[in-house]
Amino acid sequence: MKSLYYTFIFLLFTLFSYAQKAEYSILTIADSLKENANAVVRLDQMDIVIVSQRSMNMKSQRVVTVLNEKGLNHIEAYQHYDKKTSIKNIEAVVYNSLGGEIKKIKRKDFRDQSAVSGSTLFSDSRVVFLDYTPVTYPFTIVYTCEVETSNTAFIPQWAFLSGYYASVEKSVLNVTFPNNLGFKKKEFQFSGYNIKKQEETDTKLSYTAVNIAAQKREDYSPSSSDLFPRVMMGLEKFHLEGVDGNAATWEAFGKWYSDNILNGTTELPEETKTKIKALVGNEKDPIKKAKIIYDFVQKKSRYVSIQVGIGGWKPMLASDVDRLGYGDCKALSNYTKALLEAVDVPSYNTILYGDPYNKSSIESDFVSMQGNHMILAIPSGNDYVWLECTSQDDPFGYQGTFTDDRNVLVVKPEGGQIVRTKIYEDIGNIQKDKGSYSIDENGNFSGALSIVSEGSQYSQRTRVEHLQPTEKEKHYKNHWENINNLKLEKISLNNDKENIRFTEDVQLSATSYGAVSGNKMIFVVNSFNQTDGSVKRIRNRKNPFEIQRGYFDTDEIEINLPTGFNIEFIPSNYELKGKFGEYKTEIIKKDNNKLLYKRSMFLNKGKYSNKEYDEYRLFMEQVSRNDNAKIILTKN
Amino acid sequence: MRFYIAVFLLFFILKVNAQSYELGKVTIEELQEKVNKTDTTAPAAILFKKGKTYFSYNEQTGFLANHVYEFRIKIYKKEGLSWATQKVSYYVGYENLRDDKAAFSDVATYNLENGKIVKTKLNSEGNFKEKVNKYWNVASITLPNVKEGSVIEFKYTLKSENIVRLPDFEFQYEIPVNYFEYRSEIPEFFIYKTLLVGTFKPEMSGDIGQIKQVYASEYKQINTLYSGKDVPALKKENFIDNIDNYKGSIQNELELKRFPNKPVVNYTKTWEGLAVSTYKDANLIRELTDRGYFEDDLKKIIADKSSPRKRLDTIFKFVQERMNWNKKKGYYVDKGVKKAYEEKTGNTAEINLLLIAMLKAAQIQVHPVLVSTIENGIPLFPNRTVFNYLIAAAEIDGEKILLDATNKFTVPNILPLNVLNWKGRLIRENGTSEEVELIPTKPSMIVNSVSASIVPESAKLEGVLSLQKTDYKALDFRESFANMTNESHIENIESQYKGLEIEEYKAEIKNLSKPVYEKVTFSAANAYDIIGGKLIINPLVFFAYKNNPFKLEKRQMPIYFGYPEQRRFNLFLQIPQGYKVESLPSPIRIVMEDKAASYTMNLTADENQIQIKVIQEITKAIFAVDDYDMIRDFFDKIIEIQNQKIILKKA
Repeated sequence: MKSLYYTFIFLLFTLFSYAQKAEYSILTIADSLKENANAVVRLDQMDIVIVSQRSMNMKSQRVVTVLNEKGLNHIEAYQHYDKKTSIKNIEAVVYNSLGGEIKKIKRKDFRDQSAVSGSTLFSDSRVVFLDYTPVTYPFTIVYTCEVETSNTAFIPQWAFLSGYYASVEKSVLNVTFPNNLGFKKKEFQFSGYNIKKQEETDTKLSYTAVNIAAQKREDYSPSSSDLFPRVMMGLEKFHLEGVDGNAATWEAFGKWYSDNILNGTTELPEETKTKIKALVGNEKDPIKKAKIIYDFVQKKSRYVSIQVGIGGWKPMLASDVDRLGYGDCKALSNYTKALLEAVDVPSYNTILYGDPYNKSSIESDFVSMQGNHMILAIPSGNDYVWLECTSQDDPFGYQGTFTDDRNVLVVKPEGGQIVRTKIYEDIGNIQKDKGSYSIDENGNFSGALSIVSEGSQYSQRTRVEHLQPTEKEKHYKNHWENINNLKLEKISLNNDKENIRFTEDVQLSATSYGAVSGNKMIFVVNSFNQTDGSVKRIRNRKNPFEIQRGYFDTDEIEINLPTGFNIEFIPSNYELKGKFGEYKTEIIKKDNNKLLYKRSMFLNKGKYSNKEYDEYRLFMEQVSRNDNAKIILTKN
Repeated sequence: MRFYIAVFLLFFILKVNAQSYELGKVTIEELQEKVNKTDTTAPAAILFKKGKTYFSYNEQTGFLANHVYEFRIKIYKKEGLSWATQKVSYYVGYENLRDDKAAFSDVATYNLENGKIVKTKLNSEGNFKEKVNKYWNVASITLPNVKEGSVIEFKYTLKSENIVRLPDFEFQYEIPVNYFEYRSEIPEFFIYKTLLVGTFKPEMSGDIGQIKQVYASEYKQINTLYSGKDVPALKKENFIDNIDNYKGSIQNELELKRFPNKPVVNYTKTWEGLAVSTYKDANLIRELTDRGYFEDDLKKIIADKSSPRKRLDTIFKFVQERMNWNKKKGYYVDKGVKKAYEEKTGNTAEINLLLIAMLKAAQIQVHPVLVSTIENGIPLFPNRTVFNYLIAAAEIDGEKILLDATNKFTVPNILPLNVLNWKGRLIRENGTSEEVELIPTKPSMIVNSVSASIVPESAKLEGVLSLQKTDYKALDFRESFANMTNESHIENIESQYKGLEIEEYKAEIKNLSKPVYEKVTFSAANAYDIIGGKLIINPLVFFAYKNNPFKLEKRQMPIYFGYPEQRRFNLFLQIPQGYKVESLPSPIRIVMEDKAASYTMNLTADENQIQIKVIQEITKAIFAVDDYDMIRDFFDKIIEIQNQKIILKKA
């Protein structure tokens, strides 16, 4: 009897631990889902239960078949936690390609680590993640995780497709919520995907998507959040780090943020106020006052990021920034605001996405806690002057490429308001080259050039100002990589912050710029401003493409030819016009040994369809080809 | 338990400079200084760094090493503000020792305000401790009120029961160091081996101190002081193996423990000693003699393999395919070879010891080789921490074959690129050892061939291109691109050679014992210019270097290529109908002084075609810093040669 009992247990155990999950076998994956895929997400399910304004439970289950090593990052078996968010359960089970169980991974075998990233000095956020060494490909991993949090300000948005090079067999989202919290949602880019809304009531929302093919990453694509299907969700009545909040309208949200988060953070010591008043003196104009204060903040403070608890949302006290001289974007913006207040200049904290790659906007018709950055807005007539308070270098009111041309939330005491930040027009994104070069009879090159940059090109070029000498040398040698054996003779830089204009005066020389073959010498006319025309050929492009910022470059270069040579060939004038822009070159013969080379290149920003990409590639190829036009000289 | 230490100082008189290297004594001159006197472009400078290592004794836990560091840093420019945030990582993952402890103190910022020195102390709000993971904690500070011109000071203390390897004392940074000193006070029971790294040589002086302890016997203490002035900044450069090999630092590793009335404990000071102790400490004998678990599998795979080389190849492939590296290095096993075998995953030691055990079982002579990978630096003297990796060396018919089965793309005698570092140490059971060359002498090859027609009507070059890569070039390629689709391979080649459009692609990549071979049919725009009816062609068409990889005028560190390489280019260009050669560049050969690098170009032409043959060879893996000008000139010359044109004119 006893032995039988044990056998039974043993059998049960065996059955359990070597359970075969036929549905995880790779044999059932459709071929269409394997195309371009390093991983196939078999099931991605999220069950969100909003219990109350102060309690939310999220269960996720992700079943991923990893086809090769590059597919490992699609497992996404990690979970952040902090004082307000706890992980109730986290585990993973690994199956082989036939669905046979290989390994169970319990919570204690997950790694637990601080989630402080690069620029942050300290944060109490931590992350638990799976560190699994696969023994064979393909394999399937089933990852489950349950999280409980009192922060309901952020309901994670649901992405039916979470990245490139992974397909999705099935994606399920179930949300339940009390009907009195003002749950809302917004759908993005559903069209063309097989997504069904299963249920939508005043307490429940659910979707199921099936068979989403893997996407290839393509250059110049808009960000994936503008391409892939997703759902944003939020509550009108939410809770954040011990504070109840309201997001019924931007006005209400802004007011809540002002009253509950910002209120009481702008007190300054009398001593500082007196000092700042003395600094401003008799200046009456609010913008001029603000300039003085911005300069003061830039000299006094530096950016240090420390994110703890509500401090992740609430700025450090202005009096602390005053004392310590550092802070993050919220702290420094708020400190500047406090100083402005002291001299009666109104200004507003502004929440936005700081992003130099995509002009990410606050989703203006979806009221919720959004953004990752803060700047300051000073009203000026019907418009605003925007201050980036984390920078010690930016000119007053300059937005560069990090915060320009996007929707932001301006938080006023009476409520929030969505506003568009400054747009740098293509025609104002200037690079103006003026200079000359000489070629001697051995093909050696010497020249001098002045480069003036404005608009968004200003921010790209001022970087050189802060480079160490070897870095600076490297920068210019890379910039003129078409000139081999380049020697930099003299560099002088002038950063005119008042007019937001950066001037580089450079003297340079190089040996063998002109290639001598027999009695001929050949060299490229456009030595100083070659377009980087490397637009990759993409076969069967699927995504639309975007040129984020246009520009306008002009060059006027005097060329001194060596004596004792005749011009055998000189490139003819060239003009190219199209929807992407305009390109023009002209060579004027001044006398026997002197030419004037004029070039202009204007590129439009814009959003274009996938079909137009090849056209753009050919446009840039023509530009690049003409930038390489050569002169031939023959020895007398 | 209480104990008292009384210290009787018997110091030789140490020559201390008149300048004050004590915390708290910042001068107006230091605050007024606008640029560093030896490096006027430096964004910040370490005015001084002082370090001291001393031991304290506790009857329960024994000796504890205390390391105290004091810094004074001047911030000249905004880019130097990052020095106002400091982090110290300390180890908390010991199995038998208590956690290290680290703490900052005496942290303050000094500014000059209206001609007066204003000191701002750091209080708790700028002081952080963080548990990074189960092995490491980080203590960090960010100083208050720091701006251009500020001087900052801080001190930190690290206490550790780990006395085998003392923390390295670094005295060279990305910014200049005006003055440093490091004082070690070592009880006579411990003998450390000291190594000075870098080209900057510190001054050294020493003395003997007498320590009296009430509850322990009296002992002597060996005091050593290293110091130096004006250490130049050392910055990252390209073509470098590991900057830590060149950065100035003082390393101390325990060699001997000799307590009275106890046997001397030798922490190895010869390579032989290292071999013996590694076999013992890493349990190699046990790991290598337990064979039961793989015997059946082994029999199956080598049943039909009679020659030793075939057995070796088969076993290597078997281990490489079965085992999956968990990305952990080391020459100690973690879970043991047997368990690793069952789980099919393991660290470097487990995978390669398995390989050794199986090869031994197949009657192949084979030994472990200890290696220091590139990240770990150069193993200059024998001790336990210089190595961090283990590979295998088999010997068949007198030929040594190096093996590493952790990487999915290696083959016998091809090691992962980060293993090609200095020399390995082969160790035998009998305690003998031998130096092993890791860096190959045989060059890895790239052979690019083009057979194409010049088509002036379309301004294109059309034909067939084949790209072949052997040995390390093949490994490098496979590691980066092995799992890619053909489409991605095509895009790769197209973006590498501008203007190329590929119509057809074929490749042989998977078979590791063969070179990587890619063949495409292509048409290329931009391959030549048509100017005034003439065709102006670059002899290397799209293969020509765009610019010199060595751009900077000056260099601080040796130039690292990794392994010798040879590039060959063979081009056959069909001359279009109605054209003939007007001029050809002359054949040329350039050779670096010591023949370490050479470039040869040969061109010939008849009515129908032009043939171009180029061989570019670099025979050394690493070049001394003094060779830098020569190497830069070598590449400059190559580019100049590649720039000469072939000119075709209408016949």
